[in-house]
Amino acid sequence: MSAQRGAPEAARRSSKSPEGYEVVIGLEVHCQLRTESKLFSPAPVRYGLEPNHSVHPICLGLPGVLPVLNGRAVELAIRAGLATHCTVHEHSIFARKNYFYPDLPKGYQISQYEEPVATGGWIDVVVGEGEDAATRRIGLTRIHMEEDAGKSIHDASIAGQGTLVDLDRAGVPLLEIVSEPDLRSPTEASAYLRTLRGILRYIEVSDADMEKGHFRCDANVSLRRVGAAELGTRTELKNLNSFRFVEEALEAEIERQASLLDAGEAVHQATMAYDPARRRTRVLRLKENADDYRYFPDPDLVPLQLSSAQVERVRGELPELADTKRERFESDYELSAYDARLLTESRGLADFFEAVVAAYGPAKPVANWILRDVLQALSAQELEIEGSALTPAAFAALIRLVDEGRTTAKGARSLVPDLVARGGDPEVLVRERGIEAVSDSGALEAAVDEVLAAQSADVERYRAGEKKVLNFLMGQVMKRTGGKAEPGTVREILARKLDG
Amino acid sequence: MTGPLGSIGELRAELDAGDVSSVELVERALARAAAVDDRLNAFLGLRVEGARADAARSDERRARGEVRSPLDGIPVAIKDNMVMQGEPTTCASRILEGFVSPYSSTLVEKLEAAGAVVIGRTNMDEFAMGSSTEHSIAGPTHNPWDLSRASGGSSGGSAAVVAAGIVPGAFGSDTGGSIRQPACFCGVVGMKPTYGRVSRWGLVAFASSLDQIGAFARSAAEVAVLLEAVSGHDPRDSTSAPEVVPAWSRGLDGDVSGLTLGLPREYAAVDGIDPAVSDRVGEAVAELERAGATVREVSLPHAHTAVATYYLIATAEASSNLARYDGVRYGRRVETGAGLTDMYLRSRSEGFGGEVKRRILLGTYVLSAGYYDAYYRKAQQVRTLLRQDFETAFQSCDALVTPTSPEVAFALGSRTEDPLRMYLSDVFTVSANLAGLPGISLPCGFAEDLPVGLQVLGPPLEEGRLLRIADAYQRRTDFHTLRPPEST
Amino acid sequence: MADLSREEVERIAALARLALTDAEADRAATELAAILGYVELLQSVDTEGVAPTQHVLSLATPVRDDAAVASIEPELAVANAPERSGTAFVVPKVIEGEEAG
Repeated sequence: MSAQRGAPEAARRSSKSPEGYEVVIGLEVHCQLRTESKLFSPAPVRYGLEPNHSVHPICLGLPGVLPVLNGRAVELAIRAGLATHCTVHEHSIFARKNYFYPDLPKGYQISQYEEPVATGGWIDVVVGEGEDAATRRIGLTRIHMEEDAGKSIHDASIAGQGTLVDLDRAGVPLLEIVSEPDLRSPTEASAYLRTLRGILRYIEVSDADMEKGHFRCDANVSLRRVGAAELGTRTELKNLNSFRFVEEALEAEIERQASLLDAGEAVHQATMAYDPARRRTRVLRLKENADDYRYFPDPDLVPLQLSSAQVERVRGELPELADTKRERFESDYELSAYDARLLTESRGLADFFEAVVAAYGPAKPVANWILRDVLQALSAQELEIEGSALTPAAFAALIRLVDEGRTTAKGARSLVPDLVARGGDPEVLVRERGIEAVSDSGALEAAVDEVLAAQSADVERYRAGEKKVLNFLMGQVMKRTGGKAEPGTVREILARKLDG
Repeated sequence: MTGPLGSIGELRAELDAGDVSSVELVERALARAAAVDDRLNAFLGLRVEGARADAARSDERRARGEVRSPLDGIPVAIKDNMVMQGEPTTCASRILEGFVSPYSSTLVEKLEAAGAVVIGRTNMDEFAMGSSTEHSIAGPTHNPWDLSRASGGSSGGSAAVVAAGIVPGAFGSDTGGSIRQPACFCGVVGMKPTYGRVSRWGLVAFASSLDQIGAFARSAAEVAVLLEAVSGHDPRDSTSAPEVVPAWSRGLDGDVSGLTLGLPREYAAVDGIDPAVSDRVGEAVAELERAGATVREVSLPHAHTAVATYYLIATAEASSNLARYDGVRYGRRVETGAGLTDMYLRSRSEGFGGEVKRRILLGTYVLSAGYYDAYYRKAQQVRTLLRQDFETAFQSCDALVTPTSPEVAFALGSRTEDPLRMYLSDVFTVSANLAGLPGISLPCGFAEDLPVGLQVLGPPLEEGRLLRIADAYQRRTDFHTLRPPEST
Repeated sequence: MADLSREEVERIAALARLALTDAEADRAATELAAILGYVELLQSVDTEGVAPTQHVLSLATPVRDDAAVASIEPELAVANAPERSGTAFVVPKVIEGEEAG
């Protein structure tokens, strides 16, 4: 296989199946449920503390402790199941997954195995952009609840010769969401993850913050000859903790498998890790001695029973989901499908948009302003709209200042990063920055007259039919007004004086 | 001053009359322990200062007229698998060496609320795995009736301290007979309530779906008082029974007329049953008939499958429950610098005794890939049939009567080489755990000068009926009033 | 089925993180084979269509409110630790080639 890979863009461009093969990807997502306390322990869910500062005897796996299920976590699991069109089961079972690791205090993880809380759902994923956008329906095999493990710190500079174990995260409630092997490219995988994450945030099941490890992904990937019915041997990529790594890692692994198959070699079932520095996957361990987790129903817990009334109550409380919202944006606000999709990708952004429209009026200009300037500023500052200081009222006021000719679009645009970062009153900011528009027509007329007098040769060329000279003259006027003039007005005055 | 302590009722009367203080009772219990326990080896640890302080507080309450319960100021003992904040818990295992619990079990909290004074932690088979209290890091507990004999197990220490009169009451746990069989061997009453009656919070797990805390005393009436104090729903235990606990001690009127006792046909044919045991049990049944009970034969068609079913389920659960003893967070660690897996292997191999390792291996095997269905799932299905046997039987009788053990206390060391034979001696007791039923063992005579036990089993939540039957029998007999020979 | 190979015993022991000497493994194989031979009697019981009993209780699992209680004192949390660093537990490093889970 080729050892050198190009820049990330090259990887993304190559997001096509290798010649002659079909790519088959299934994803397992672990997302942290938004609860105050842990799944089976009343210890608080807290991060960033010193080790073992958020623990209860249950989290420590002390002799004699017993699990008691967090009812809120169950509600959130039901919600996730309903939002992804799963069947939510009235009977489900918690099982023990047995293995030894220092951050697994009981020597087993309480999970769901044979009878999970939800199965058989789907989500619609839009893949591609603009004209190329297509919707793919991706099946969900199952959703189940389980407890997180603690944290092992291997860093020799902190841990010396040993490994440190912190159990603050042990027992934190997770949902595991397993997709069908319906994904056919790294791009689809990434689009699926973004959509799924959006749904989980929409319904407030999870903060799904990848940076904080609230949303983690393992990928199963295999290749098969085009037209083959049998799936190829798959490998599992572990701990893909950003959207970019998911795509890159899948690209690298697909290429590795394709090279093996091309050379007539076999792909071995294995757990793989992705090395972002070298842009390669490597075998963590072969699965020849398949893990034997000895799952069995946890005898400390009896089966979970949900009533249909409870499930229906949760259904009734579900907020409007992205798909529905997108359709509503298209029809109510007359937005393009593309704009509506971008605006509804996060619930926070959609809510922000609607709040600005409510304060301002026409939807289309609001959409344009948000999709261009706000998204750019958020992305540059690595913020979500919820985390920014920009309020809907301030943003509506800013657009209005432009409409009223009190500042230029360019001037307004220059304020967006500051408003996102620090907030503030746009009217005050415009004044402080001295970017009020020169709307006094007398002053503008004077500036135009001065330019025409100074550039008489160019005026001649214009009048001789060289119309593009107008742009040059406009630039001169803008320069003279320090960029504060509204370009449309300048063009109007120039044309009147030149043609008149 | 080192003679045996009286019954709970007698001690309470002395306390109420002001003839004795709780502090004095605790000193008597400690003195009795000092006098006899070097021969019995029934305690793994005495709680001297803590017990004295608790007793002093009980005396102060009594002086203020604030007696909390019939157990206020009464010394008791707990099996060393029930945690108590600030105290060690060892489960008679090297692997819990040095462990001091930062929290208390519900049992201990309820005893504290009742004012009972815990004077010590009793010996047991390691992690409650055994029927003789020989599998203990501290060595075996000797039977007070014959020091060369086993005290039974796994709660042998709790049975022995009651038989020897160190305390009037003690607590144990019963996973497959671990209260009833040592009660039988030591000639005291031992009761395992319905599964879920006493919270398991803070009881170190052996087999979670079978474990149940219960009590020992010399009379059924005292057992009723002890169990009333510690039973009840606990939101910290998801398998805790929600039903209200009746005042069992108030239902003991000696009347068993109108009750039908079932004799399981299949148990008459059990291999290796001591004929003398059968005789004593037959005499006890006759006594209950004279008291007004009706007797009939019933059938438990799957009785022969109980021991096999029990050992598959119990060991499977145990293999998982004991995974937490890994040398990471507490307990004994053995480390040679050869890495994590080596630390696990050494800590666990050197920390657990032979019987525990044997059961972990068996349980790991029955849960492992390819064997789950043939063993574990099959056992769960047979467990259903066993439960149904009891449901059917209880349609035609109110309680079942059986021997507790097919034999009297065996000689120490005589069974340790043959684990399967040891397991088979649990034939009469394991079914109650598999079906979650209450069961009681009470002394019903002697064979070879050793106590014989009568077991009475009832439908779920019918502890009161069993206590009433046992109490009625004890009103008509005096086996429970006999003390082990003064040699102890 | 009642015959248990040494390899099988060693596989099980490794899963359970128990180290057995050769003599112990041989003895375990014999003892376990005897026990497994005994439990074979279950195979003669007709369990066709019989639901497994996971639990004798007919309860549904209870749930608690999502209310957090204060953490126990970190000092207490690690008080029993064989080795600690600050309030973290310390374990030996995973040696290369060891299974990580």
